[in-house]
Amino acid sequence: MENIQPQTAQNRYDRTMNVKRNGAIKVSNKNELGPEQLSELMINVANSRCKASFAKLFNHFGAKINSFGNQRLHQQGLAMDLVQETMTRVWTKAHLYNPDKAAVSTWVFTIMRNQCFDMLRKVQHNKEDAFGDDIWPLFDSDDAENNEDDFKLTGTLLQHVNDLPPLQRQIVQGIYMQEMTQQELADKLNIPIGTVKSRLRLGLEKLKGFMEKHYD
Amino acid sequence: MINYHPNEQLLALHIAGELPLSMSIAISAHAELCSICQQNLNQLNDAASDEAFQITNSTAEIDTDMSDMLEQLMSTTLDDLDNYHGRAEPDGVDHVTIKGDTFKIPRALRQQVNHPWQGIGKVSRLRLDTGEDKARASLLHIAANGEIPEHTHKGTELTLLLAGEFFDEFNSYQPGDFILLDENHQHSPKTIDGCLCYTIVDAPLYFTKGFSKLLNPIGELIY
Repeated sequence: MENIQPQTAQNRYDRTMNVKRNGAIKVSNKNELGPEQLSELMINVANSRCKASFAKLFNHFGAKINSFGNQRLHQQGLAMDLVQETMTRVWTKAHLYNPDKAAVSTWVFTIMRNQCFDMLRKVQHNKEDAFGDDIWPLFDSDDAENNEDDFKLTGTLLQHVNDLPPLQRQIVQGIYMQEMTQQELADKLNIPIGTVKSRLRLGLEKLKGFMEKHYD
Repeated sequence: MINYHPNEQLLALHIAGELPLSMSIAISAHAELCSICQQNLNQLNDAASDEAFQITNSTAEIDTDMSDMLEQLMSTTLDDLDNYHGRAEPDGVDHVTIKGDTFKIPRALRQQVNHPWQGIGKVSRLRLDTGEDKARASLLHIAANGEIPEHTHKGTELTLLLAGEFFDEFNSYQPGDFILLDENHQHSPKTIDGCLCYTIVDAPLYFTKGFSKLLNPIGELIY
């Protein structure tokens, strides 16, 4: 049953999901992924909502998170909750991941530690506190603030919008020219809001690249 | 320039998520004002993630649970999460106003401002509800030309200056300064222009003895 030949990533995923033993899907932890592979998977999740990539991230991190949870939470059930909470946040917050700022493992660690902190407070105080992400932000808040302070280059910047790939151009134009909200765009285009956010980020990064090339 | 910083041990415990809420708020707020400590924290975070994720061995018992969870996520949960748009970011504030002055507050405090200001004269205090028995966290505002009478501390007092300035017998302080004083220090802070601080008082066990699971509220919970 075990195939020891080298497999493509896609095949490994297929096997993970299809081979059943005693009714359970066998999760493989044998294949450790490197930083570049993890980053690629994370970007697939952010941009394409790719479940296959998510499954590989789950297989890579799941047991590690469980092990961390057992050390901190001293209860098997809570450790599995930590896996669930962390990995669902990896999915819903994927658009916040910035490969230029942090390795995927650091980012997942941040989510896990924040969640663990909140879970401990919940057990301790029976409160639905969610303070972890305020204390250890998942993204660099400076980025968002600094985007607003330069109006002079706006005119030049807009000329480059037309050079963007169509999907990114559509989002950038929707947000900045038609002044739609991210949610309105997501509804109009019938895509998840996470996809809007990640296309917007990619588009803005590309625009930044244009500007640097021309004005450095 | 910021002259007073949390020490390495506090930074490391903060990254590990092992400090009480009141203290982690202080470290986070300090780092928002101090790029040096923010950089240190980023490095510690990298190191902590390497260490936490080194562990690769999983046991057979959890494999089944893990695969069940993954199956559930893949078949329904992930789609549900994407289709559910109702989840809002937690409420919060990014500023406080006291006696006509408005101050921007650090991100770590944005969900913590839930009580009214109280005070006499030039000194106003806003209690934070961190749920800790052994530490009281507050925002402290001293209006221009105000002072706090000379006092000692039964335990330890942390003062993080968020805005404005104050000075005491030892020094003058600027926004971002992270000032830990123990019971041996007497001081009488004064301010000319007014200031806003984040303070934690009466917290001897937290600070003077370092981290110990037996003394930490999280530890008390577990043991």
